[in-house]
Amino acid sequence: MIALVDCNSFYACCEQVFRPDLLGKPVVVLSNNDGCVIAANKEAKAITDIPMFEPVFKIKDQLIAHKVNFFSSNYTLYGEMSQRVMNILGMFSPKVEVYSIDEAFADLSGMRNISLNDYGHLIKETISKNTGLPVGVGIAPTKVLAKLANRMSKKIPDNNHVFVIDSEEKRIEALKWCKIGDVWGIGRKHAERLKNIGVFNAFQFTQLPLQWVRKEMTVVGERTWRELRGEPCHEFVMQPPPKKGIGTAKSFGIKLPDLERIEEACAYYISEVSEMLRAQKSCATYVQVFIITNYHNNVDKQYSDSRTVTLDIPTNDTFNLISAARKALVEIYKPGYRYKKVGVNLTGIIPQDYVQGNLFHQPSKLNNLKLIETFDAINRKFGKATISSGLVGTRVIEWELIKKERSPRYTTQWKELLKVGK
Amino acid sequence: MLKGSEELFIIYTGNIPLSRKYSYFWTMEIFTSGKLTKVKSRHEPGVSKQTGFASPATHYLEPTIDLNQELVVNRDATFFVRVDGNGFKEHNILDRDVLIIDRSLSRNFDDLALIIQEGEFKIKCIPFGFSEEEFTVWGIITYIIHYAR
Repeated sequence: MIALVDCNSFYACCEQVFRPDLLGKPVVVLSNNDGCVIAANKEAKAITDIPMFEPVFKIKDQLIAHKVNFFSSNYTLYGEMSQRVMNILGMFSPKVEVYSIDEAFADLSGMRNISLNDYGHLIKETISKNTGLPVGVGIAPTKVLAKLANRMSKKIPDNNHVFVIDSEEKRIEALKWCKIGDVWGIGRKHAERLKNIGVFNAFQFTQLPLQWVRKEMTVVGERTWRELRGEPCHEFVMQPPPKKGIGTAKSFGIKLPDLERIEEACAYYISEVSEMLRAQKSCATYVQVFIITNYHNNVDKQYSDSRTVTLDIPTNDTFNLISAARKALVEIYKPGYRYKKVGVNLTGIIPQDYVQGNLFHQPSKLNNLKLIETFDAINRKFGKATISSGLVGTRVIEWELIKKERSPRYTTQWKELLKVGK
Repeated sequence: MLKGSEELFIIYTGNIPLSRKYSYFWTMEIFTSGKLTKVKSRHEPGVSKQTGFASPATHYLEPTIDLNQELVVNRDATFFVRVDGNGFKEHNILDRDVLIIDRSLSRNFDDLALIIQEGEFKIKCIPFGFSEEEFTVWGIITYIIHYAR
C-alpha cells in the first residue's frame, strides 16, 4: 500500500502557525515580487471574487475590502517547514518520495496486523502536533489511487482527512465519485475528449478497452488506466532525475532602462543557476537570455526578445556562462525601453564527466575547477552571494525582488525568531 | 598593496628593525620581489608532522559538547522563540530570553507551555485535569536560555 500525504493550503498554513491571530481568517500568499496570488487558505478561497494568479495591483482593493491578510512568499520558511514534515513522515515509512514542497508518497507495504486507517490518522496527528500544519492522508494500492484517496479524504468531511482504499467496493466507490478531469495524470485536453465520448468519471474510464486507451492516450494513459484498476505502474522515485533545463526569471523591483543594471541582474541569475548546475554535477551546452518590458503598462513602449548562445564546450563555470549570457544580452538589448524582467535558461544539460573537448578547445582546466569549488564553499558558509563575479556588482538591492510583506524567517534566522510577550 | 610594484623588495629575515613606514609587514614573510606569492598567516595552527609518541589522549577523544544534542531532543518538532518584555516574570522568564519549545511532548500537569488564547500567544502552567477547550497548547517549553551579562 502507498500513502499520499499532503499539506492543506501549505504556504498560508505555514504563516498561520506563527500567527495565531490569523487562525480562521483569510490569508493569501503572493508570488515573487508580489506579482500575483499563488496560494490561499480555505477562508480566502471562500471569498469567490478573489481570482487566483491575477496581478496583485488589479485586485488589491478587493483584498483590502475583504480584510484578506496577504504575505510575500517566504520560501525560506516554507522550505524548512516542508523539511520537517518530510522528516516526520520518514518515521512512519522507510521509503518516502518527496513529490513537491507540500506532498510526498510513503511506502506502507509489508505492514501487517495494523489498521491502515488508524495508521493514517497517526501520521496526520503527529505531523499536525509536531509542526502545526494540517495534512490529508490517502492510502491505496497504487500512486494514482492514493492521490484519489487523498482527494476524497479532504472533499468528504466525514473522512476527517484520512481515507483508505483497501477493498474492491471502496475502489469502485472512489472511482465513481472522481470526475475524469480530477484524475492525476489526465490533462485538460484528454479530459475534454473523454467527456465527448461519454466518459465522465474515473470508473467509466477504467471500463474503456485497453487498446483504445493505449492508442489514443499513449503509454502514459495506459499507466493511469492500470493504476486506477489497482495495478501499480509508477515506481518509487527516490532520487529525482537531473534537470533537463535550469532557468530563472524574476521581475525587477523597479523598471530598469540601462544595460549596465540589466547585465548585473543577468550575471546574478547566471551565478544562481550555475550553482544549481554544479550541485547536480552537470554542464550546460546552451545559454538562453531573454528580456521583457512591462506588458501591464499601457503607456510605455513594449519590447521583448531572446537569444540562445551555443557554448564551445559544455560548462558549469560561472565565469564562462556569464560571458556567454552577456554576449546574448548585448545583442538583444535595445535602449529606450523600461525593462521589467530578464531571464536566463541553461539547457542541453549533460553530466559533468561526459564533457568532451573539441579540436580547438579543451574542457575547463583543473585550475578553474578549484576556483569554482572554493567559490561555492565560501558562499555555502557565509551565505548566498558573499562572493560573486565582478559583473554582478554590489547594487543588488536596486533590482532585487520586492518582498514588502514577507514574514520573518522564524526557523532559520536567530534575529527573526518568533516574538512572544506583552 | 604590492601589486605590480617592482621597487618594493623586502626580505624579512629576523630582528632587523624596519622603518616605521613598513612596520605593518612585521608579521609577513615576503619571498620574491614585485609579485606577492606567499603570505603566511600568523593565526594558522600548525600540525606537527614529525614522528614520535602519539598523544596519550588518542583513544579517548570524544566529540565536543554540542548544545543541539543536549537541548534539542526532537529537532523536527522544536522551535525557538524570543521573549519580548518582562510579562512572564512569574515563570522566571525575562526580557530577551530564548525559549526552546518542543511541540511533540505530551501535555502534563504543571508543564510550562506556550499557549494560544484569544488569538494571542501566552505562557502558562498546564493546570490539573486540563482539556484543550480552555486554551490551545502550541508547545511545551523545555529550556529557557538567559543571557547573563
